[in-house]
Amino acid sequence: MSAASARRLLRIPAVPLAILIGVLLGALLILASGRNPLTAYSAILVGALAPENLPDTLNWAVPLVGMTLVAALPLRGGMVNLGGDGQLVVGALVAALVPLYLPAPGPVAAVAVILAAMLAAGAYASLAARGETRFGIPMLISSLLLSYPAVGIASYVVGFPLRDTTTGLAQTVMIPASVRLPAITGPLNIGLFLMAAVGAAVVFFDRRTVAGYELRMRGLNARFAGYGGVRLASQTVRIMFASGAIAGLVGAIIVLGSQYRYQDGALVTPGYTWSGLMAALLAGGEPLAAIGAGAFFAALQTGGFAMQRETAIPRVLTMVLQAIIILFLAIRHGVGRRSS
Amino acid sequence: MAAELEAIGIVKRYGGLLANDHIDLAVERGEVHAVMGENGAGKSTLMSILYGMQAPDEGSILLRGRQVRYRSALDAIAEGMGMVHQAFKLFNSLTVWENVVYGLEPQRGGFIDRAAAIAKVGALAERYHLQVDPAETVGRLSVGVRQRVEILKALYRDANILILDEPTAVLTPQERDGLFTVIRNLTADGRTVIFVTHKLHEVMAITDRVTVLRDGKVVAQMITGETSAREIIRAMTGRAVNLTVEKGEAKPGAPVLKVERLTVEGAGKALVDNASFVVRAGEIVGIAGVAGNGQTELIEALTGMRSPDEGHVEIVGHDVAGFDVEHHRAAGLAYIPEDRAATGTARQASAADNLAMGFQHTPAFARIGLLDYKAVAARARELIARFGIRVASEAAPVVSLSGGNLQKLVVARELAHQAPLLIAEQPTRGVDVGAIEFIHGLLIAERDKGRATLLVSAELSEIMALSDRILVMFEGRILAEIPGERADEETLGLIMAGRAKQAA
Repeated sequence: MSAASARRLLRIPAVPLAILIGVLLGALLILASGRNPLTAYSAILVGALAPENLPDTLNWAVPLVGMTLVAALPLRGGMVNLGGDGQLVVGALVAALVPLYLPAPGPVAAVAVILAAMLAAGAYASLAARGETRFGIPMLISSLLLSYPAVGIASYVVGFPLRDTTTGLAQTVMIPASVRLPAITGPLNIGLFLMAAVGAAVVFFDRRTVAGYELRMRGLNARFAGYGGVRLASQTVRIMFASGAIAGLVGAIIVLGSQYRYQDGALVTPGYTWSGLMAALLAGGEPLAAIGAGAFFAALQTGGFAMQRETAIPRVLTMVLQAIIILFLAIRHGVGRRSS
Repeated sequence: MAAELEAIGIVKRYGGLLANDHIDLAVERGEVHAVMGENGAGKSTLMSILYGMQAPDEGSILLRGRQVRYRSALDAIAEGMGMVHQAFKLFNSLTVWENVVYGLEPQRGGFIDRAAAIAKVGALAERYHLQVDPAETVGRLSVGVRQRVEILKALYRDANILILDEPTAVLTPQERDGLFTVIRNLTADGRTVIFVTHKLHEVMAITDRVTVLRDGKVVAQMITGETSAREIIRAMTGRAVNLTVEKGEAKPGAPVLKVERLTVEGAGKALVDNASFVVRAGEIVGIAGVAGNGQTELIEALTGMRSPDEGHVEIVGHDVAGFDVEHHRAAGLAYIPEDRAATGTARQASAADNLAMGFQHTPAFARIGLLDYKAVAARARELIARFGIRVASEAAPVVSLSGGNLQKLVVARELAHQAPLLIAEQPTRGVDVGAIEFIHGLLIAERDKGRATLLVSAELSEIMALSDRILVMFEGRILAEIPGERADEETLGLIMAGRAKQAA
């Protein structure tokens, strides 16, 4: 490739270019394993976007985009919340247990359960924030470390004291049908609308509110924000509370909308937290772009399941694609700078 | 005979910006050659090319008539170039000799020959009258002495041509005179000095020839003895500039800032030691002192960026000591910080966002927690026009602004607060002559409107030109208070060096 055409290539916007490179490298991988890349990619496309598969994709996108917002909100202010798993589990556990003991009519109970889950997960996340503001433990560490006890304790609770003894698995008793989220079609439930509303709220917060402005400025230069009168410590706590609350909502939607109980491992195994974190990093914390990236990853992952079913090419390929795309976006600046 | 150093037709582009536009520079052996110009004139780019840190797009460099090509600064150092950067590149926890020999240690049997290194560094210091103890730890040295260590580093590597980038910015007048003696010793020894500076009187005092840059081009080359300060300014700015600040008598009113027995501790000692003073409405109080004598910590404590350990601070009657920045601002503080890039702005953010900071909760901008971005943009456009900030639009990020324009933006924002108290820290550092004049005029106008101003500056001429009263800080203490009209450089310099009795 000549230098001139390389430069022309660099002028393609970064995201499509990274996707293109990812797709090309992925194709080489498939070719090397002796299969047809076109078959694989069409299986991914159909699996993700064909009308009959779209509800599955959206159902996968709800928690993934949710966890993207969980990561993106603090990231907008230059903070990193690595404790998404713990906050997700706290929210889900609360959502699975409260309905068993709450005597209230269905819809009211559902709302109360969701709020309780958000509150609990938010409070849990703000613990990590206070670790930083009070005791100087970097939030990167405190948020991650607080994840493990949450996941561990939840595992114990559903494995022993609150286990549904009628089944052989570590899971809680099913919640009553009255608090379950109404379905839209197939696996898709109104959690989709809840998440869309939260996404819109985060975008609005970012673009219109004073607090959103303060968060954005902090992300660009924290010292500048502090100099301008932004109360950084309380901002850290508030933003982490909101971030955790969104994780709690994701947990509640999964429990009330799909699984109807807390199932050990069901929230952590799919890796929503880490896919969401990657999507948020990809978008640099900008909420709308983060939502887009999260939805894209959800489509890629759902398509991957379909491809594995249809073509026997392992769905790990889609994770490889995801990684290549992020890698190329990350190195693009360095490449661009050297050539200019 | 060929010139010691010659640059011919140097061109350097950064994207669309032509930073160096066919620059020719010839420096003779044994001379002190000043390179002057406003911010963004291309001085730094040219120096980084001469020192091998960047490659020119076009043009060539000749050393004693022989063309050289540098792959990096290492090549330039091997050819006998040396550079003392504005921000020193020293290991503070190591000793002087360790810093000097680093990378080129005298060895014996695979180990550093400590005795030889100390002897060599000591001899070098002796020869050029650089008073430094080779065994002292760099972190314990004053800024002026650290600069000598930087010069020693270059000399140890046999630098024949020494580039000094704004070398006097952090020095007391006495230290500056010491540096000039060192420079004279160097040139007497046949070494060549390229002196990059803003300061005219220094150019007149020490240099043999001057090259003036403007907009990336050489606009004048003069022999110092045959030109005048006024002529150099005209070359730099393209117009004649008034060097003195015109101001009338101050009419001090009620106290706006009251500081009593303020102490800030850090690293086991008092960084600000029992400071008490008052700033009244309608006066400018200047704080003079060599950088690092507690001015930074004092200002941090007065603005809420840091909690004082003891003492009392009052802004317009509100007790603010120990409260956060928002509390100080609400009480009536506007603050031009020392470092416009690290503290005063967010460089990736738009001019409008930068100009809104500190106002985000005011009724003009905020309603029920929502920020009125239309009002933010309108105010930004107004301030940009009123203060003549050169920026593409209010929506453009400020990262592309030159130092002077960025400083104007910070000054514009803080003056727009109409706060009773203004703390201005190094308000014109690294800013060109035109912007200095503009900012000084604003500060005087604000004083006459009744604003109380606390001015901190490392630039004595600035302190003397603007201040109605001058407080001199040394090792955290306020050693003296001198009426502005009675201050002279000699006296202030002695107090700044901690010799209050001698000065009195």
